[in-house]
Amino acid sequence: MAIVLALFMISSVNVCAKELINGIDANFPPFAYVDKAGNPGGFDIDAVNWIAKKMGFTVKHQPLDWDGIIPNLVAKKIDFIASGMSITPDRQKVVNFSMPYWEIKQVFVAKKDSDLTVDQVLTGKKRLGVQRGTSEAEWLKDNAVKKGWNFELIYYDSAPMAVEDVLNGRISAAAMDDAPAEDAAAKKPVKLLGTFGMHVENFGYAVRKQDTELLDTLNKGLKMLMADPYWNELVKKYFKK
Amino acid sequence: MFDTLSAILEALPYLLEGALVTIGIVIGAMGIGLIIGIHMAVGQVYGNRVVRWAVGIYVWFFRGVPVLVLLFLFYFGLFALIGLNLSAFAASTLVLGMTTAAYQSQIFRGAILSLPRGQFQAARALGMSDFKAIISIILPQALRFSIPGWSNEYSIILKDSALAFVLGTSEIMARSHFVASRTYHHLPLYITAGCLYFILTWLGVRALLKLEEKVRIPGYAH
Repeated sequence: MAIVLALFMISSVNVCAKELINGIDANFPPFAYVDKAGNPGGFDIDAVNWIAKKMGFTVKHQPLDWDGIIPNLVAKKIDFIASGMSITPDRQKVVNFSMPYWEIKQVFVAKKDSDLTVDQVLTGKKRLGVQRGTSEAEWLKDNAVKKGWNFELIYYDSAPMAVEDVLNGRISAAAMDDAPAEDAAAKKPVKLLGTFGMHVENFGYAVRKQDTELLDTLNKGLKMLMADPYWNELVKKYFKK
Repeated sequence: MFDTLSAILEALPYLLEGALVTIGIVIGAMGIGLIIGIHMAVGQVYGNRVVRWAVGIYVWFFRGVPVLVLLFLFYFGLFALIGLNLSAFAASTLVLGMTTAAYQSQIFRGAILSLPRGQFQAARALGMSDFKAIISIILPQALRFSIPGWSNEYSIILKDSALAFVLGTSEIMARSHFVASRTYHHLPLYITAGCLYFILTWLGVRALLKLEEKVRIPGYAH
């Protein structure tokens, strides 16, 4: 019982005044993942670390379940989300976003030797995988009705899980952001089929509505970073094209 | 093959760290459940109507609502509402503890009811108070009988602890998932996670079996 109490006490005094917590989806390489040593790594993590140093705050990166990441932000368990989050009108109702820092296209991923086309996936009664709680999942569901597409959406915890099931042959294709799709194609025998008509999206950092000061800080830091040579280094490091 | 093996070996220290988190949750939750559970069992068997009713409601609630829902409900709702700012680890431990308390109370209640009624009456006839009879006569026997059921509950909570990740506690399962996402070795990593759970279950159940033998009253067992 004493051990339990001690654990409670240690864990309840974790909020230092100056340390901000960045919530990440560690299943989202190359933007956010857990590296070989078990530490958070990725494009967004390096970018935020640079910004934190310039703007004078310390930051901790906390891996969280993507489904619960906005509730965690609202409940003040974390202070912001810098983890490849698309800026969408629905999310903007609940949180504020920083300036956009990365443009993302949505693509289909299929087996390397597959001869499927994007149209066949949309209208050929295929099973299509997608990560639950993402903007592409919402868009595909809404537009399937409007445009008469007849694929069956299969929901996954993460994009890599959907890729895994493409390889298992359980689904014909998976929809995801182009960057993690490239990451998958570099590691597994899958290929990108191309975009499927979804509008281009932008990634931004999310903060609570009332935290305007933090939003200013992050925006300033982002602007500095994107004007700095380090930004291109980061792009080169994480996106090999 | 070699690729897979090296990915697992590389990830092992990270996963073992996760096993410590899992062990922390399970020990904490089982401890909380033990303490609350014993009280509730005694209350449900010997308490007055109000106590029996209150315990009954508690047990129905925690047995009736899925653990996943309870975790969200308490972490984002109730704990926040009463100003209790618990970490994800503390919150998952507490919620799992309160849940297992409901199940454990029924293990203990069953054990108490399995004792012959005459024992309590005999203790009272010898001049013991109700409290003394329960502490010195009933519970020492009932708790011994509870060990098999309790070890069953341990193995269930151990695996339920994987749900803690919905709150952001990086235990075995969450960590396996992270590594799989980076390396695309999903199946081997889930097999590794399965082995870790198996080992933890085996160790715990084995230890409880030893305890059961150790505290057995000579000539009293079947």
